Amino acid sequence: MSTLLLVTILLPTIGAVVVCLLADQGASGARQTALVTSILTLVLASVLAANFEPPADPAAPFAASAMEWLGPSSHINVEFSLGLDGLSIWMFALSALLLFTCVLVSWEAITDRPAVFYSLLLLLGSGMLGVFAARDLILFYIFFEFTLIPLFFLIGVWGSEDRRYAAVKFFLFTLAGSLLTFLGLLTIVLWNYNHSDAGQMTFSIHELTAGLNAHPLAQPYQLWVFLALFAGFAIKVPLFPLHTWLPLAHTQAPTAGSVLLAGVLLKIGTYGFARFSIPMLPEATAMCIPWILALSAAGIIYGALVALVQTDMKRLIAYSSVSHLGFVMLGLFALTSLGVEGGVLQMVNHGLSTGGLFAIVGMIYERYHTREIAQFGGIARRTPILAFFFLLFTFSSIGLPGMNGFVGEFMILAGMFQRAWTEAPEGFELLYKVIAVASVSGVVLGAWYMLYLVQRVFFGPLREPPVHGHDGHGHDEHGHAAHSDLGHDGHDDHGHGAVDTIPPSSIRDLSFREIMAVAPLVVFIFWIGLHPEFFLSRMQATLEPMTRNAQLAVERMYGEPAAIAGDADQEQVERVSLLAEGVPARDE
Amino acid sequence: MNDTIPILLVLIPGLPLLATIVTAIFGRYVLKENSHLPVVVALVGSFVCSAMLLAEVKLGIAESSKEGSPTANSIGWEVTSNLWTWVQVEDAITTSDVSHAAAAAPAPGAEATPLPASLPFTIEITQRADTLTAIMLAMVTFVSSLVAIYAGGYMHGDRGYWRFFCYIGLFVFSMTMLVSVSNFVLLYVFWEAVGLCSYLLVGFWYQKPEAAAAGKKAFLVNRIGDFGFALGLFLIWTTYGTLNFHDASGVAGVLGQTRLAQPSLIAGFSDSYGTIATAICLLLMLGACGKSAQFPLHVWLPDAMEGPTPVSALIHAATMVTAGAYMVTRCSPLFFASPDAQQVVAIIGGTTAAIGGVIALTQTDLKRVLAYSTISQLGYMFLGLGLGTIAGITSGMFHLFCHAFFKALLFLGAGSVMHAMGGVIDMRRFSGLRKLMPVTNWTFLFGCLALGGVIPFAGFWSKDAIIAATYERGVLEGIAVYKVLYWVATIVAFLTAFYTFRAYFLTFYGEERIPHEAGSHAHESPPQMTWPLRILAICSLVVGAYFTWTGGFVDFLSQTPSLAFAPLAATAAHGEHSHEAHQLVSIVGTVIALTAIGLAAFLYLGDHTLIDKIKQLSGPLYYLSYGKLFFDPIYYAAFVWPSLQVAKLSYWFDRNVIDALVNFVGRVPPWLGALLRPLQSGLVQFYGVAMVWGVLVLIVTLLVWPALAATFGN
Repeated sequence: MSTLLLVTILLPTIGAVVVCLLADQGASGARQTALVTSILTLVLASVLAANFEPPADPAAPFAASAMEWLGPSSHINVEFSLGLDGLSIWMFALSALLLFTCVLVSWEAITDRPAVFYSLLLLLGSGMLGVFAARDLILFYIFFEFTLIPLFFLIGVWGSEDRRYAAVKFFLFTLAGSLLTFLGLLTIVLWNYNHSDAGQMTFSIHELTAGLNAHPLAQPYQLWVFLALFAGFAIKVPLFPLHTWLPLAHTQAPTAGSVLLAGVLLKIGTYGFARFSIPMLPEATAMCIPWILALSAAGIIYGALVALVQTDMKRLIAYSSVSHLGFVMLGLFALTSLGVEGGVLQMVNHGLSTGGLFAIVGMIYERYHTREIAQFGGIARRTPILAFFFLLFTFSSIGLPGMNGFVGEFMILAGMFQRAWTEAPEGFELLYKVIAVASVSGVVLGAWYMLYLVQRVFFGPLREPPVHGHDGHGHDEHGHAAHSDLGHDGHDDHGHGAVDTIPPSSIRDLSFREIMAVAPLVVFIFWIGLHPEFFLSRMQATLEPMTRNAQLAVERMYGEPAAIAGDADQEQVERVSLLAEGVPARDE
Repeated sequence: MNDTIPILLVLIPGLPLLATIVTAIFGRYVLKENSHLPVVVALVGSFVCSAMLLAEVKLGIAESSKEGSPTANSIGWEVTSNLWTWVQVEDAITTSDVSHAAAAAPAPGAEATPLPASLPFTIEITQRADTLTAIMLAMVTFVSSLVAIYAGGYMHGDRGYWRFFCYIGLFVFSMTMLVSVSNFVLLYVFWEAVGLCSYLLVGFWYQKPEAAAAGKKAFLVNRIGDFGFALGLFLIWTTYGTLNFHDASGVAGVLGQTRLAQPSLIAGFSDSYGTIATAICLLLMLGACGKSAQFPLHVWLPDAMEGPTPVSALIHAATMVTAGAYMVTRCSPLFFASPDAQQVVAIIGGTTAAIGGVIALTQTDLKRVLAYSTISQLGYMFLGLGLGTIAGITSGMFHLFCHAFFKALLFLGAGSVMHAMGGVIDMRRFSGLRKLMPVTNWTFLFGCLALGGVIPFAGFWSKDAIIAATYERGVLEGIAVYKVLYWVATIVAFLTAFYTFRAYFLTFYGEERIPHEAGSHAHESPPQMTWPLRILAICSLVVGAYFTWTGGFVDFLSQTPSLAFAPLAATAAHGEHSHEAHQLVSIVGTVIALTAIGLAAFLYLGDHTLIDKIKQLSGPLYYLSYGKLFFDPIYYAAFVWPSLQVAKLSYWFDRNVIDALVNFVGRVPPWLGALLRPLQSGLVQFYGVAMVWGVLVLIVTLLVWPALAATFGN
């Protein structure tokens, strides 16, 4: 398995090289190679996921491998070590899945220098897979930055009108944050080196975690280090108010870029919080929790409100991401196991639903060359299958039960309520309750902006932007006329057997390729929705110790009156045993 | 003895789901005009299973009482069956955490804190069978079978024929699951699922802008209700540490027998949880208001009439909209814990009944009249549920049961009219249809009699039971709130009979007028549509009387754990139903109904000059009713518009403050660079001088530093 993991991560890079070598074969050679590579990657990742066993020992994750890499002779010990655990496995699998989707959605959209495009896309794939599998800090950081550069070019070269500005802003914003993060991480390494007697400077993430728990970073350094890490991760997430690069980057990126950006790259931020900040700096985490929760709730509502007034489909979905990622952060920093597991699951959920939404919007753009909501109406009539998938992803995104989004949101909110109502630290009860209740309203707003989008674009009388195709003329005028004579009940054909017709157009519904691009996402949307336990049970072994550890830190922060706790504890036990026996004694 | 029950519980929702999948796969290209067949067959099958389930439940109850040893903790009768585990989170909370929670609860609370020592979060897909579920299942599957048969005729020739039946199957699946699941999460799941089906079916003719808008509105208003429901759910979770109805593996369910036998374990019976119990109940009630179209969230239901008429009959009259009443009934132990919340439920019910009745008086769209009457009748149900007596709850549920038959009948009748009139449903444009459509006429009349509350039709018995229960609470026990509500209920009964017969006379009496859309083929509907009407008409005639005389419904329903508990919880002993009081209410009710019908006949059977005069006289009052009390514009001005303005402001803020700050920070490095730029002058001489100086400084430092260090270092 450990070789398999290595191969899975390197495969896209190899594919990228092959694509470059075949550059003179034209577009078809490049995309076919990319497709084969991504399918192989997906198969290998699936094999890994299927065989995944939740590791009991954090030091020995699933499919672990380690090679000496940099400076084995000196004190510095950087290893090329890989492995998967409950936190990373599903994001790893999602990355492979979305890579496949991205190759398919770019198939006809990319005509300019396809070989370069696909090789960059595949390189990005390697970076994403590696980031989640890295067990060494330096390796993590390299993969982290590795995702940045291909995406910079994907946006800057193949994006829309404002692509240069978007790419530069995206790059500088994220880079600025991640440099601070790197400083913070190095501080952690040095602190650990100075305080352990290993005599070697280790970069292994789990050793650092263990080390920092044995001898925690002193205050106030811990807070500063936390803030340094926060700078990079919060920008990546993006946490309100550090989000302004995101709508721009999303709107300008090519479809594949948007899908991967929303689906995977944002999650590197939340993953970073879960992997580094919370386990390594529990006291600082405890200090910052109220702030982060407040920012998350603000992001949930703010993102949803701003999404409500967007006129561009992609930007609308981009702002919805700000809102959804707010939920993920809320779950992670509620620091109840319900919240943390919900948050990690929601990372995957958001990738599936928003990835799907971006893919479909890309397909609409490919057909009509515009994303202006106002230009569309009733295109469910023209492209029913497309509309079906869009509606499906919409429902997943707004957390309709039976689909994945509901499970995540529900667990996150239940976790947050648990924190607010039963375990809020002294003095924060009211704040936590307000945050909990306010974030539930994000669920209402979420339905509002998404159903608004659906209603405007897919329902109502058919109205299409002019198509620059073979037929050369627009349908927008007579699209209206064809349906203005609908009867009062909307089915004037009723009883006549006549079928209302729409004007002919060169616009086709989804092709087999396009259906294949989004169909796997649908499978997982329902799988997670109907049987989330399959996914959750594989996370628990990793997430529970982490959560417990952080919870203990919170308790240390806010000091528990031990004596009272002991008394109440005793009563609890008695009561529970009473309940367990089902004794119906009235206690008078 | 209960081996068959789990199988039946799976089959009842399973068959419609299977039919949905079959229709979804084969409907478009294979089944086409026959797309209704799988769904109809499945629904009938489902109904047969529900009937069998009803029999099994009856048998089970009989056997358990025969055994003669109803143990102290077996309250009511229920069977649950587990399908699979949905979510399981072994909570990482250490015991000290929980004790922290207990300590945080307002002191002596620890005595009655119902929290178990750890909070494992386990949601299992569990179904349950008890009398409440059995009744709801039988009602839902019966009505939906008839509606599906009817729709086979009504929707014939529609482009989305297969899609329609696909949605119907999905709806019945969700609705049957909603009433048969056994924990709050799944209740919420299917609560939303029926909302989805409603969204899809209201917007079925999605090319009509009104239909698309109505679907969205229905979903969003329901989401606001669900917001409350979700909050209630989370509070239940934090208060009880479980979301199960029933007891499972050492954890007492929220409505489980352990708690029911020990009322102190239901929140509210201990002082410390009193507020929380009220909060939970009110939040749940907000959810119920959304789904059951109660004031202030009733605004979506009239718009939902944009959907195909069979949908209005099935979802927006008989089944889905009663989910709220079902939920409140299911949670009655919680509501019993909070008399305040019960009064709120009753007040909301009474208010809604009045609002619906007043608006229905002047509407000209036949379906809208029926929609507002549905709102009003649902208000009656909630009034019954909020009375805080077992008689109130059973009467509310009885009204729900009877209402399903006659309101489905009325909607299907309206659909039949619409079918013949070429899609026109405005009562000003047709009249005198009784000769043209004889079957529709007499069945519709039956429905009107039932809705108007004329003896011996169904509506009489059930509405009477609610008003009698209100009378008992308000007049006999002298509780002021209920006294007012009694008068409201009585007046609304008058309004109901009046607007019902107004609609009936306008449609079926007067000179025969047919709109031009109907063309030359205005005719009675095909048998496929009239037979369901006949069956429902017979039901509207008999169900009320039958169950009232035998007393079967109330006795049977009282066996459900949520209700069987009430006598234990009831603090004040409520006397037996005062017989004279009941008779008095019945007589008053009958007189009122007949007067109202007489008035309607007097006004609408002759020429309409008198009506015009009344319209002129009442002036603004008329427009208030005709304008639906202006809820929509008020809500728009009070909530929607401000939200949109805040949203616009946020977007402005996003671009001009947050992003501007970001860009400002981005300009700092170039600006710093500009400061240093003069150094890069390009003069080689300058570089040379700088280099020499640099070297000098280095040398001096190297020479001087050791000396300095030696001097000061020690």
